[in-house]
Amino acid sequence: MSGTPSVSQLVDAVRLFLAEAETELSGRLAFHAKVAGNALAIVTRELAASPEPAERAALTALTGQDGPTAELRHELCERLRDGRANAQTPGLVDALYTAAVAQVAVDNPRYATFKRATGA
Amino acid sequence: MALDIKPDALAAVLARTTGADVQVTRIDALSGGASSATFAVKASRDGADWPLIMQCSAAGEPAPGAMAKRTQARLQEVARKAGLPVAETVAILEAEDGLGDGFVMTRIDGESLAPRYLRLPEYAAAREAMTAQCATALARLHALPRSAFDGLPLTGGSPQALLAKSFAAYRAFGIELPAYDLAFAWLKERLPDTEPTALVHGDFRSGNFIVGTDGLRAILDWELGHFGDPLEDMGWLCGNAWRFGNWQKPVGGFGEREALYAAYEAAGGAKVDRDAVHMWEVWGTLRWGMSCVMLVSDHLSGRVPSVERAAIGRRISENELDLLYLFKHGSI
Repeated sequence: MSGTPSVSQLVDAVRLFLAEAETELSGRLAFHAKVAGNALAIVTRELAASPEPAERAALTALTGQDGPTAELRHELCERLRDGRANAQTPGLVDALYTAAVAQVAVDNPRYATFKRATGA
Repeated sequence: MALDIKPDALAAVLARTTGADVQVTRIDALSGGASSATFAVKASRDGADWPLIMQCSAAGEPAPGAMAKRTQARLQEVARKAGLPVAETVAILEAEDGLGDGFVMTRIDGESLAPRYLRLPEYAAAREAMTAQCATALARLHALPRSAFDGLPLTGGSPQALLAKSFAAYRAFGIELPAYDLAFAWLKERLPDTEPTALVHGDFRSGNFIVGTDGLRAILDWELGHFGDPLEDMGWLCGNAWRFGNWQKPVGGFGEREALYAAYEAAGGAKVDRDAVHMWEVWGTLRWGMSCVMLVSDHLSGRVPSVERAAIGRRISENELDLLYLFKHGSI
């Protein structure tokens, strides 16, 4: 305990505040307070575990290339656009599925399809 | 401007269109989007309460590419007279009214929040009835001849043209989402290049209905109506996003596919090609995914700074996962 709150502790504190504020608000502002709280929950989850390594590993294996995630993504998009890759390309749907599951784990782990995909 | 229409000015329009003694006491904003605004109108007609809804183009005149509200009103009337549950138009604002582009319709009582009518026990009978009601409404709409819409400036095109337009919009954002590219490529191989055969609603789904305990009471939001492939409406209705978590009920979160198809055919609709509906469901998932991209870009570009728009950007991954689930498992 250093006495200095970490970034995620600060985010948690703001979430608590927003939850409190929401009860005092109505209509559009209450709705936006709820949305803001949900956005901070995403921040908390992403600080704890970024989905990027999972995407990068999946795309590296699929494309046979190494590089930043954005470049691998670009490479795959180009292949899909010019017909070098499609839904029948071995491993393609599975690789993207793995990356999407990792991303939704951060963005919205309550999403029905995420629960179905992970058996949660 | 549409947004400051005065009660007296609106009362004068309503008196003109109805020939009745009309008083308007309040006009309250209900919701406003980028292109249109909706108002609750508290009025009386010959002394009796007359609750109304007014919809106006947000800037007074239709945004580029958007359907004019006066066109929407006339489209709704065509659908209503064909037997679909649609609120009756009571006045269309004309140029000489000087109130901008808009129309007024009757207010229909009921629940419009999908998570409520999809979950609350008092709507169990409604959920039971809605599959057949939706099927019948779509069959009646899709059966209308093109001549029923004569004089209405409605757009339309082949499914391939629709896809090409959406792909161009995607590329214009300069983003790279492999799941979207996969879906665009998959659809490009499969969607027909046929000319439109029917007027499709374009946004026929849970969330755009008014539901009573007896079932479907009104179909809302006709501004995306266009000439196209009737199965587009069917695939959109079955999209996972519009099940609001009730994924076990593929039709809008309340019904079963086969029951929808059977009721559609029984109501005079063409025989339903299951593979084609699946294709349109993939299209619908991608289309909602593109809406998320457009909405978050409003925030990211600074056009509409909003925490809500920002957060919608994190729903892109839900659509990616839904698309991939469809490709991996064949259905969702």
